Formats: sequence, structure tokens, C-alpha cells
Amino acid sequence: MAIFKNCDGTTRRDFLRAGVFGTTGLTLASYSQLAAASHVNPNAKGKAAIFVNLNGGPSHMDTFDLKPDAPSEYRGEFNPIQTCLSGVTISEHLPKLAACMDKFTLLRGVSHSVAAHELGTKYVNTGNRPLPSLEFPGYGAVITKERPGQEELPSFVAIPNSSQRPGYLGVKYAPMNTTSTPVMGQAYRVRGITMAGGLTVEDLERRRGLLTQIDRTFSDVEKDSQLLDGMDEFGRQAHTVISSTKAREAFDISKESPEFSQAFGTTPLGASCLLALRLVESGVRFVTVSNGGWDTHNDNWTALRTRQLPPLDEALSALFNGLAARGLLDSTVVYVTGEFGRTPKINSTRNGRDHYPRNMFMLLGGGGVRGGQVLGESDETASMPKHEGFSPDDVAASFYHAMGIDHTYEYHTSTGRPVMIVRDGRVIPQLFS
Amino acid sequence: MKFHKSLALFATLLATVASTLHADEPPAPVTVSVAQRFAAADAAEVPDFQKHIVPLLGKLGCNGRACHGSFQGRGGFRLSLFGYDFATDHDELYGRVDTETAAQSLILQKGLMEIQHEGGQRLKPGSWEHHLMLRWVQAGAPPRVPDPPSLLRLEVTPSEILFNTAGQQQPLTAIAVWSNGVREDVTALCRFQTNDDQIADITQNGLVTAAEPGDTHVVAFYDSAVVPVPVIRPVTPQFGDQYPQVAAPTRIDELVVQKLRKIGVVQSDTCSDAEFLRRASLDVTGTLPTPAEIREFLANQSPDKRARKIDELLERPGYVAWWTTRICDITGNSDDKLNNVTPVQAEASKQWYEWVEKRVRENMPWDRIVEGIVLANSRNPGETYQQYCENISRLYHKDGPGASGYAERQGLAHFWARQNFQTSEDRVIAFAYTFLGTRIQCAQCHKHPFDQWTQDDFKQFEGFFKSTVGRQNARPDAKADYDKMLAELQGTEGLKGNDLRRVLAEQLAKGATVPLGEVYTTKVQARAANRNRPATPAQRRGNGPAPATAKILAGPVVDLTQVEDARQPLMDWLRSPENPLFAKAFVNRVWASYFNVGIVQPADDLNLANPPVNAPLLDYLAKGFIEHQFDMKWLHREILNSRTYQLSWIPNSTNRHDERNFSRAVPRRLPAEIAWDIMMQASLSTEKNSEFVTALDKRALSIPGSGLRQRNRNPADYALTVFGRSIRESNCDCDRSDEPSLLQTIFVQNDGQVLSMLDSQDGWLAETCKQNGLQFTRKSSDDAAAAQQARARTQLKTRFKEQLKKLEEQLAAAEEKQAEKQIASLKAQIRKLRDQAVARGVIEADAADVAAAEQQAVAQGTPQLNTDAIITDAWLRTLSRMPTDNELQTAKTWIAESKDPVEGIRGVLWALLNTREFIVNH
Repeated sequence: MAIFKNCDGTTRRDFLRAGVFGTTGLTLASYSQLAAASHVNPNAKGKAAIFVNLNGGPSHMDTFDLKPDAPSEYRGEFNPIQTCLSGVTISEHLPKLAACMDKFTLLRGVSHSVAAHELGTKYVNTGNRPLPSLEFPGYGAVITKERPGQEELPSFVAIPNSSQRPGYLGVKYAPMNTTSTPVMGQAYRVRGITMAGGLTVEDLERRRGLLTQIDRTFSDVEKDSQLLDGMDEFGRQAHTVISSTKAREAFDISKESPEFSQAFGTTPLGASCLLALRLVESGVRFVTVSNGGWDTHNDNWTALRTRQLPPLDEALSALFNGLAARGLLDSTVVYVTGEFGRTPKINSTRNGRDHYPRNMFMLLGGGGVRGGQVLGESDETASMPKHEGFSPDDVAASFYHAMGIDHTYEYHTSTGRPVMIVRDGRVIPQLFS
Repeated sequence: MKFHKSLALFATLLATVASTLHADEPPAPVTVSVAQRFAAADAAEVPDFQKHIVPLLGKLGCNGRACHGSFQGRGGFRLSLFGYDFATDHDELYGRVDTETAAQSLILQKGLMEIQHEGGQRLKPGSWEHHLMLRWVQAGAPPRVPDPPSLLRLEVTPSEILFNTAGQQQPLTAIAVWSNGVREDVTALCRFQTNDDQIADITQNGLVTAAEPGDTHVVAFYDSAVVPVPVIRPVTPQFGDQYPQVAAPTRIDELVVQKLRKIGVVQSDTCSDAEFLRRASLDVTGTLPTPAEIREFLANQSPDKRARKIDELLERPGYVAWWTTRICDITGNSDDKLNNVTPVQAEASKQWYEWVEKRVRENMPWDRIVEGIVLANSRNPGETYQQYCENISRLYHKDGPGASGYAERQGLAHFWARQNFQTSEDRVIAFAYTFLGTRIQCAQCHKHPFDQWTQDDFKQFEGFFKSTVGRQNARPDAKADYDKMLAELQGTEGLKGNDLRRVLAEQLAKGATVPLGEVYTTKVQARAANRNRPATPAQRRGNGPAPATAKILAGPVVDLTQVEDARQPLMDWLRSPENPLFAKAFVNRVWASYFNVGIVQPADDLNLANPPVNAPLLDYLAKGFIEHQFDMKWLHREILNSRTYQLSWIPNSTNRHDERNFSRAVPRRLPAEIAWDIMMQASLSTEKNSEFVTALDKRALSIPGSGLRQRNRNPADYALTVFGRSIRESNCDCDRSDEPSLLQTIFVQNDGQVLSMLDSQDGWLAETCKQNGLQFTRKSSDDAAAAQQARARTQLKTRFKEQLKKLEEQLAAAEEKQAEKQIASLKAQIRKLRDQAVARGVIEADAADVAAAEQQAVAQGTPQLNTDAIITDAWLRTLSRMPTDNELQTAKTWIAESKDPVEGIRGVLWALLNTREFIVNH
């Protein structure tokens, strides 16, 4: 009976086989590798990814899609500045990003129709329009499943937490949440990874010695039980992760040289981006960085000018430049997005802009994505894509493509429904031309 | 599975098919197989569309999902997946036949690969399949006959296959029995499948071949029929007549052994008393037995002590909390899905929990609990809208009864208000999951591949769910009352959505009565069908007005205009003794909670192609459950008192690899809530440890809802997420995960929350130190706390030094004066001060002091370090058993080699919490 039933009549063998005499020598890792078959291209340029989630929905018109000639009820206070790409302008409050636009593609005219924070966030974190009956897995869960990382490190880290839930793939693909944001220049403690105060590697070694001596009740039967054998393996791995200097060093941003750290600034976003870079450098496969405050219904321009844009400009440019300087940009995809844009027409009563999914921007760079270009275009008031535009699904499909994962591959949910990784997207060819 | 006719309601509505067959009449002769009838090219018979053409297309793979069964079709040609949409399939095929020159038909040319066909050659020229298709086209490609007979059953022989060596073969024969008396050999038209090809393989001709020893099923599919055939190859020579004499004290044991006898597997011995106590305590109450309880149970010589303990456990609050949690799992109590259902956030999930809790506590029969859910309206019978709002508002008032007041309501209306329970399609899927343990969703779009359900069954079943409104403000006839109440409330003017809810919550806090949304049902109206009117968007989404009739799954059509509530016939059907799934679904889930796997596994996937591993056992329990008026405690008691439940996990030579036939206990990871709760319980002091048995506050077991909204409110959230607490949102028992993971292990080994739990002021470590005269020092994982402690120690040290200096100066002065009395007093004061300082860890005691103190301790009988007792206690409170001599020695040596005894004891507790023996139930 060790067979899962799928809705389309196919069957697949349960990895934790429970049949009479159904024994397989598969460990979780080798199973994952087995599962990663033809739909994964291990030679793809993207080996790791950093996803920066700008929670609240950043105003596209005041950042990357300015319309200086639009009527005053649309235009906004900020002026455009030239970037390092000829003829391309962005907001005057993003000068550092303007100078490194050769490192990523700016997508304008990305469009969808989900104007609520939670649902919009789910959409851009999964590449699938949310359904009430099925939770789609976030990018990090899919990537962890298809391209698991090294043993000493978690594959998927969220700083400080993530909207990318494992959905129908199951909890084992959930991120390791750092639960706090690192502070520049300070030693950084992470739940479960950092050795808790007072405990030393020597203490741990000693305790581990005792544990292996007393955890022997099942030793005669453990090889016949996937559960007991698996837990034994996880026990060894956990010890490796906890006692590995590699993991602890990677998380500890204070170990970074001051010269390199400096460019990231002193903000939480900067420290998070630096941590993301260090993790990727050590071999973590997927890192999400969450940054809030973009829901600027009130005093949009003050908030952006003083609070939101300077840290973004500093942190993101340092991330792109830092990855390039370390030789990691070619193998690391960076994906930056909010859940939607903001209303082109100014809400004059509150001097702000409200939720607006019909037109927004996204940034995609590294890992084989061609930098130094703007794809897509919005109309005169940045209200709609001028031409066909892109959907979040398209960008998701392209992102998976960069990571060597076929987005049309079908998973089966736990109840046996076949679902494509991205159900409705097409790879945007110009990103890779 | 014919529906119970005695229900008067249905008597006039039954659309039963009159069978022409009588048991005492000889069955009609069997028509030989199409493979013979169409072997020659010149057969005169015209193939039947439903009986022959569509099954053949299925067998050839044409309507599979990779081919024309795909929802997009292939090459512009689309067939219904698994073929049960006869009209559409005929239309599609008819466009590809040429009845004049039949051989030129596209479907033949493609199938024969006479012209390019991406799917390759499906028909061999000159084969019976070719002849059959050709003959059908030649005859004008007729569609399904009008008023077609229905398939009564598919008789597959043999009904059970017993092999004894690998490579043995057995052909299957399948006879279709139709309602018009026709019996036809359809073996050649069946699709076949094995449920485990390592044990038995099956060809598309129905030839079964034995492989490894074990037991599985092969399944035959034809038309809507799905027939599983058990295949057994005994595991040892000890089977059948050779099977040894074994104990089988209860009916459950007899039925389990009856199966084991066939496969040659012998059950393990029964488990020890300590194992039984731990297993049953965790399974029934989600709580560890206390060390005192273990000692008492082990010392008890009474022969019925296990049965008595079972009765005792079933009366504890842990049982109520755990089964309330499980029922909240399967009914879907999720904060995320209940967003905005109540004016005060997260109240809906609490009310839901309380509603279920009261009923589990009272051991209300399962069908009556379900009745309260299935027939739920927000208003109690007879309540006006105004009264309803007053009664519910009171729950939120400061002096009101709180969420537990909701338990007094007749119905659990929140079930119907969930965000993912609004369309009739979602309702069918969730209803089938929750109450029937069945995954019907496949039939939403096509014939269910593993069950009898067709898309038509699904659509007609939807009718029962369309007249209940789940997320509205007020029933239309109460709209005026709603508006009036709202108008009378200050500060609500012009507000909507969240803004309004916020103000309503404020008003409730002030003790006001506020207008509330409600779940309500309207009577289905008979209406003339208007075929010309275009469907509204709501109708296209499947939310149109309720149809006048709906059809019970595998049952009769019901005239909904004749009942007040369309859900009433649904409920009557659920609890009817003839219902094929309702009792089994619950019984199977309860069984699965005790045996790691269900009798049907996955436990929520009851379908024809996934038969029970032991059908008589499932039947016995389901029947008993019904006969005992759905008494849940009867079911628990029946299972727990069986020898089968009380088996050891230690395998014998026959059952080492059996995890499906209940021949031994299978170690399984504890559910998330229980895992976290017992980590706390094991590390708390004796008093707090025993409070877990009687009280439930602060326990993960009593967290009402699930979901993101709940997260970060409870300190246990992180642990519960890591250990896979049910997310309760996708209609699947797998929303709860009992799989191990790396993060779990990292959590128990090195998470600050766990490490500081060991060092808790209320902890066992602190208590043990006190009792053994040890200085308790924390190895706190909390840096801030550690820093504060260090600061405090420095201050103490400074103060100690100052005081000591003062005393020593006084002493020097006294010695100068030779004031003997004063000298003695000062010396005593200094001694006392030093002792205090040592005790508080400010200074190190010098060797002479220690020796003196020990001498004094012996003399005065002050606590002394008793390592053996400490270690024994540690084992009892974690693994619920005495340590072995070897373990005792190991731990003793380890403690002795530790920096200090406290660190040693702490390490032992840490190691015990990290053993697999702790986190699995076994």
C-alpha cells in the first residue's frame, strides 16, 4: 500500500515506505537528488538566490518609473536623475543604484490585480495567483527541494522571517528564520545556530558523547525504521551544523571586514543584505530579506525621502556591487519586489499613494540575467503597462529558469493534484539574451 | 451500498434501479470477451460506446492525462480524462470518423500510425482492438445508447490470490454485470494496476505475477467500477495450518491475527508495564506519567491494572484536550481562514475549540457532534436577530462568559464561515474530507481515477451545500434590524470592513450589543427551469441558486424543495447505518492515532482502489461504533484494551519488516503539541510536572486555532511550527506532519528556549540542586540574563568584601582589647558571612571549609548528593522507565567527570531529551 494516489491516475512511491517488506535504502538527501531529475538543470548559472521583499508595496512612480511630464495630480515631488544606462532615469533619491544599473535588469510594467497586502505578497512570493483552497510553495521551498544545499548549513534562510511558506510541499522545506535582524558591527545570534550562552563546542562534544551512549534503546531495529534511522542522521547533521564554525561564522556579520561592510551602511536593511551575501558565499542556497515601511498611504514623499529610499539605495547597491566584487554575481540571482505598486493618482487628502497592482516594478539581476537594461514600459501616467506588460508569473518563471528549474514541472500536492511550479508564467527571453 | 429505504423521507424519492436479477435465478450466460468476438475482421456485432469504445480508449491510453485526456487536449483533440463524459467524448470522436470510408477515419489512421501520431502506434493492424474500432465506425459510430443500463458490479475472480513462490502467475477474469441482465467478460477492456509492484505485478491483460513476500492489492478498473483483489505471499512458512497457537483475547486481536495467519507473521510479545503506561498516557492524554505514577503502577500487582489505567486516562483532561485538538484539525479550525468572522480577532478559533471541547468532555456521540456542525446556523432555534446579537455580544463583554459561552450554542456555525468553505465545490471537498475521510476532489474535474465518483456525482452532490450562506452580515429578513442596530451605535457611521470591525470591537469592550454577521440557510424554492437565461457570473462559478434536487453520493436523488434545510437529508444519510464511509472515516482516524497508520492508509483516503489492509477489522470497528451510538470512548476503550495495542515494539523473526499489519508496536514521532508539552513537563519540578496531568493552561494541547495570525502570540509557536502542528487549511490529514527534520533536532539540541527551560527557576534541575545541597547555577542561554547575573555577582562580591573588611577590622580591634566574648562573636559572624558568600557563588570555598561542611552535613543530616536517585528520577521523568545498570553507570561516570555536579545533571537531562526514545512513542 506504499503508493500515493495522484489525481491524474499516476502513482508514485512514498519515500517513507511503509509496506510489508518495503525497504529502500533512500535517505532524504539521496531521495531529493533522485527527485531532481530532468526538470532541473544543474549547469544553470544561478546557483543561489537572494530575494528582497519590500513589504507594503513601494511606489513605482517615485522610485524606478518616474513620469516627470505627467499631470501634477500624478507626478509627485521627486525628480529623475540619469543612470549609468544612457537615456534611463530613476528617482533622485536612488543615486547609488543609478550608478550600478549595469548589474541588473529593471522590469517596468509588471502588472496584476491583487490589491491586498497578504494576497499580493503571496502572489509575488510564489509566482502563482493565490487560491483559497491551495497554498503554493514560496520560491525558497521549491529551490530547497530541487537544489538542496550543503550539509553544514540550512538551505533556506529567512532574515528575519519570510512570506515564503512551504505550502503544499510540506514543512520540511520551510525556511530557517533568523527571527531577528542583524545589527551592523555586532555579533549576530541566530536561533539554534549560535551556540547558546555559556555552552561551548567542548560542552557540546561532551554532551553528544553521552547522548550517543544512552540513545541505544533502538539500536537493534533502527536500520529497519526510516523514522529512527532518519532521526539518527538528523542528529549527526544537527551536531555538524551547530558545531561547525562555518555556519556560525557565516551568520556573524561582525566577522566581515569593515572596509567591505561600510558600503552597506548601518541600517537593518544594509545589515540584512550583508548577512544574505555572507550566507550565499558560504553555500546557503536561498535567502530572503524582508524590509517593511513601504505602505505609504500618508506623506508618501517624506517617508520615502527620509526613511525608505536612502537605506534601500545604499543596501541594494552594496549588495549588487559586493556580489560582483566577490565574484558571486554570476552565480547569484537577486530578485527585488514589493507586493504591488502604488496609485499613480495622488491621494491628496493624505498626500500619499494607495495600493495599486496594475503597474509596478521589479528588479532581477545576477545568475545569468543580463544586466544593464530596462524591460517593459508603462503608459504616460504609469497607470498601466504600455504594451503587453509582464505578470508576476512571468517573472517567477524567469527566476526559476535562471536557477535551472523548469517552472512547468508538475508537482503533486499531498492530495494528489497535479500543479505546475508556476502555473501561468512564461520565461521572459530578453532577460537572458 | 443501496441507501436505507426505511427513511421515510426518501421513500418517494428513491430512484432505485429495479434489478431483473434474483438471487435464486441462474445468472444469465456470460458473453465472451470482445477479444474473441472481434478477433476476425468481419464481426457483425456493433460495439457499444459506453461498454466497449470508451473503455478501450482508456486501455489504449488515449484519454490519459499525458495524451488527449489533458485539459488542453492534444493536437486539437480532447477526451474526458478517464472517460466518463460520454456526450463530449462522442462529439470529439465523431468529428474524426469517416463513416463512408471507415478506414480513412482520422482516429484509425492516427491510432494505427498510418499517418503521423505523436502518441505512436496504439492499434496493431488486424488486432481485435483495430477490428472493434473499425466496426464501430462502419456502423455509423453510434453514441451511448439512450437510457443506458447501469453497471451493477464488476465480478473479478479469483477474489483473493495466494502465492507461495516468486514468479508464480495467476490470471484475473472480470465480468461486468449490467442492470439489464447482460453479463460480459470485459477482462480485455479493464485497466489494471498494482498497489505495490515489489510484491505483485500485473499486466494489462490481468495476469498477476508474484514477486517479494508480503501483501498488497491489484486493482481492476472498468466503467465506474474499481475492484481491488488482495494478493498475499506469506512471509514465513508459518502460515495457514502451520501457524502457531497465539493469544487473541479480544475480537480485534482475533481479526488482526486472522490476517497475520495468512501472511505468516506472528505478533510480538506484549510490552512491559512501563512501556504500556508511557505509550497509553501519551496516546490518550498527550502527557507523560509522573515518576510517582510510574512507581505506583509498576508496584501494582492487580491483573486488571492496565484496563483500570485506560479508564482513568480516558477521564483525564488531557484526553479531552487532545481529541478536541484532533477534531479541530479535521474540521479545520484555522485563524487564517476565520479572519473577520468575529468582530474580535482570534475569538472565532477559541469559540470553535470551546464548542468542541465541551462535547468531547461530555462524550457526546460523534454523530451528534457532527449534526451540530453540519446543520449549524448562527442563530439558535427560535432566536430573533436581536436576541442572537445580544447573546453573542455578551460573550465579548468583560463580565460575560467568554469563548466558553459559545460552547452552549447549538451549532458550530464558524465551520460554514471559513474563507475556504464558501463555494459549493470547496464545501463538497471539505465535507468529504472531514466526515467521509475521502478525497473527492479529483471528481471535481473528471472521473475519479481511484474511486467510483464521476464528475456528475460531484456536481449533483453540490446541491446540498448551495442554500447555506456563510459570510454575510445578516439574514436578508434581518437587514433592517442590522441597519437599525448599527445606526444606534456611536462612531460606526460610514465605516466598512476593518474600520467597522474595530469600532464594533471597542463597543463590545464597553458592553454594548453590536450587530453581527450570521450563517443561515434558506429553504430551496421550486423554480421553473429557464434554459434561455444566461448564467450569472456567480452561477458560472458554481454559486448559483440552489437546485431543486441533489444526489447523495452513490445514493438517491433528493427533492430539496420538500425539506426545510437542504442539509438535513445529508445529515440523515451521514448517520444512517448504511452510510459506507461516515463511521469508517472516524474509526480509521482513531486507529491511525494509536498505530501510526490507519487500517486504510493514508487515513483520510478511503477509496475503492485503496482498500483496508484488514477489511474485517475495519468493518467490525465501524459496525461496533454504530451499534454503540457513535460512543467515542467505546471505540478508544475497545482499541486500547486489545492485546494488539499493547504489543511490544521489539520485533521477532517474522515481523521485523511489518509496519502495516499491526503485528508489533511501531515507534512514531510524537505530534507537535505533545512533543513540546512533554519537553516542558520533563524539565519541570516534581510539583509542576504532576500539574500537567490535571491542568491544561499553558499547554500547547489547548491552543485553539492554527495559522499565521496565531503565530508569535504563544511562546510555543516556533516549536510547534518546527514540529509540524496541523495548519488546518488544505483538507488533508497531512496538514499535520509527524516527520522528523533537521530543524527539530537543532531545536532540541541548541535552541535558547530549550536550554533556558532546563535552567528554569521552576525546573527539575533547580529543585534537584536544592534537595541535594548543590549550589544551583544557571548556564543560561539568555545573554542578557547572564550579564545581569554577572553584574549581580560582582555587586555581591563587592558588598561581601566591604562587610568582611569591616568585620575583620572589628576583630582586630577586639583582639587588641582581648575581648574574648566579642572575638568569638565576630569570628562566628565572619564564618557565617563566608559561608553565605560560598553558597551564593561569590567566593570559592577552600578545601578545609568543604571538608568541614561535609562533616557537618553528615552530622546534621543536611541534603547530600545522591547521584543514583537523581539519575533514576531523570530517566523516569523523560523515558518513563528505570535506567538499566549500564545506563546508570554511564550517567554516573559522566556526571563525575563533569566540571561540577550541576553541569553534569544538566547534561544528563539534555541528553535524555535528545534521545529518540524520548521524542517517539513506542
